[in-house]
Amino acid sequence: MDFLTVLPTILKAMAMGAVPILLASLGELFSERAGLVNIGLEGLMAIGAFVGFAVAKMSGNLWLGLAAAMAAGVIVNMLYAFCTVTLCSDQVVTGMAINILAPAVALFGYNLFVGSDPANATGAQMPSIAIPGLSELPFVGGALFNQTLLAYLAFLLVPLVSYFFRHFRAGLSFRSVGENPHAAETLGIDVVRMKYVACVICGALAAAGGAFLTLCYTPIYIDGIVMGRGFIALATLIFGRWSAVGVLGASLLFGFFDGLNVALQAQFQAAPVMFFKMIPYLFTIVALVFFGSRRAGPRASGQPYFREQR
Amino acid sequence: MAKEAISAQERRERALMVLTPLVSVLLALVVGAVIIACLGKDPIEGYRAMLQGSLGDLSKLSKTLERACPLVFTGLCAVFAYKCGVFNLGGEGQLIMGACATAATILGLGGEGVPALALGLLAGIVAGALWALLPGILKITRGLNEMITTIMLNYVALYFMEHIFKNVFSDQGLPKTVALPAGVRLPKLLGAHVGVIIAVVLGLVVWYVIFRTSFGFKIRAVGMNPVASRVNGFPVRRLVLLAFIISGAIAGLGGAVELMGKTPFRLAAGFGAGFGFDGVAIALIAQLNPIAALLVALLFGILSTGGIMMQSVIGVPTAIVDIIRGMIIIFTVAGMASIKLPQLRALIASWGSKSTEAEASA
Repeated sequence: MDFLTVLPTILKAMAMGAVPILLASLGELFSERAGLVNIGLEGLMAIGAFVGFAVAKMSGNLWLGLAAAMAAGVIVNMLYAFCTVTLCSDQVVTGMAINILAPAVALFGYNLFVGSDPANATGAQMPSIAIPGLSELPFVGGALFNQTLLAYLAFLLVPLVSYFFRHFRAGLSFRSVGENPHAAETLGIDVVRMKYVACVICGALAAAGGAFLTLCYTPIYIDGIVMGRGFIALATLIFGRWSAVGVLGASLLFGFFDGLNVALQAQFQAAPVMFFKMIPYLFTIVALVFFGSRRAGPRASGQPYFREQR
Repeated sequence: MAKEAISAQERRERALMVLTPLVSVLLALVVGAVIIACLGKDPIEGYRAMLQGSLGDLSKLSKTLERACPLVFTGLCAVFAYKCGVFNLGGEGQLIMGACATAATILGLGGEGVPALALGLLAGIVAGALWALLPGILKITRGLNEMITTIMLNYVALYFMEHIFKNVFSDQGLPKTVALPAGVRLPKLLGAHVGVIIAVVLGLVVWYVIFRTSFGFKIRAVGMNPVASRVNGFPVRRLVLLAFIISGAIAGLGGAVELMGKTPFRLAAGFGAGFGFDGVAIALIAQLNPIAALLVALLFGILSTGGIMMQSVIGVPTAIVDIIRGMIIIFTVAGMASIKLPQLRALIASWGSKSTEAEASA
């Protein structure tokens, strides 16, 4: 296999594979910074994928589809927020409940949507936009600088989020809520409101990641389309060390192995392709083995917050 | 006097713990009915069709039991692991690997009759246990989050099964394995395969082990407070690893039973799909009680087989039962959390003390 000839394939698939993970992972970053471990990303992505697909198809406007997907993600994640923040339920259990409920709602909606008119099965796709100049670079240009606008926006989010958490008052408040909510409360930060805000952002971003799958990746929705990406996003956050830049690097690394899988499949068509498809999942485990220390996370993450408790 | 008050409160809390899932099921069915009504269909007719399609006669009942059977295994797999504080989401992968091992031993070695049957079941148990051992080792040595690793291994197992049914034991090049020979299929009893009985017995055994043996006590202690357990001299890491292995073995046995018991007796795309998360849902709704898990699995079986009949009678997609299932678990989680809230606890306690006062005066 000549590396240089397959490099564009890998890079193209890397950028495509990284975006949904990146979006979901950035959403989870907000959530965990505010002390909420949300393992319901998989479900949020599923609902985002379906709503984005259906609304874009119905209205013919891809951005309306994206907006609707994000709104749906927020609505579903409000269920999570209500249970975990207001009722102080177990975050892992609640996230798991979201993972079971949200794909079911998406599947039900899909059955109604496509059942009413089989022509609905194939949706619309975002066009790629080549950046003049950069996209003409040899080998890497066509692969990296010829993306959909949503992908560019996702990558643009990284410096914004990073700056937000470091230099904005609100960003620092977020971090204090995740580290020590009681101390944050004494400083006049409304912890409960902060957590709800985090859930709104997390729901919107994770659903946008899901919508990317149906608006930019493949033009169809199928049950189980998320394929564990929600959980990979959780892993990405861990080996991205809870920072936006780290998450970007980890997402790209994951995307690279996804791209390697695609390139190997194209290269060795006679070989059992299933083993190539295992690569991203095995890589996630291996990466966690080396960079999986849980200690770097926000200290109060995962714990319920009782305001009256001392 | 003080002791009595505590026990009365405890009794109330236990009653609430049983009541919450029951109320959740009812609420979820009501939500389901509202959705059906919104689509302009008759929910009562729909639910009648559901009951008829799942429990209407012996053949339907046996179909429901066979549908519930693998869910009992994945449900017990989840229950056992969570009791030890291990959030094993890999029931599906462990079940699939169990079924792959069963298929490989039976189709690879040949053989018929009871020895082959026993060997097939054993292979399933061992493969399931090994598939859970890996995340177990990663957890106790590297502290890796088992939720992520087990989910990743689910997908690896899925692709491995694809390899088995496409390349290794493919039926004339089709994407499915050769069907198991008649001599190694589980015998039938009243229309359902005996795996159902294995599942029920296993539920009782798991209940006994968790609640009536010292090993089960240690498992529960580690699940409640690993630090206190370590201080107490319990081998926490070994117990956690054992919880992984046993829960994986349960799921693996489920895979073997599903393959050897249920038509078409072969691996193909979609085998075991969704069983893992259903098992998690069952464990959570059942409040980690193995016997309750049997009942919840039966409920899931009724919803699944009945949902097909409901679709054909009133024309609502079967995914409505997935929504109902999801609502049950959301309501249960919210309900269990809210009865533990300090404000509501105080309310319940005051309401309870009034009733005991009333009892005392009467």
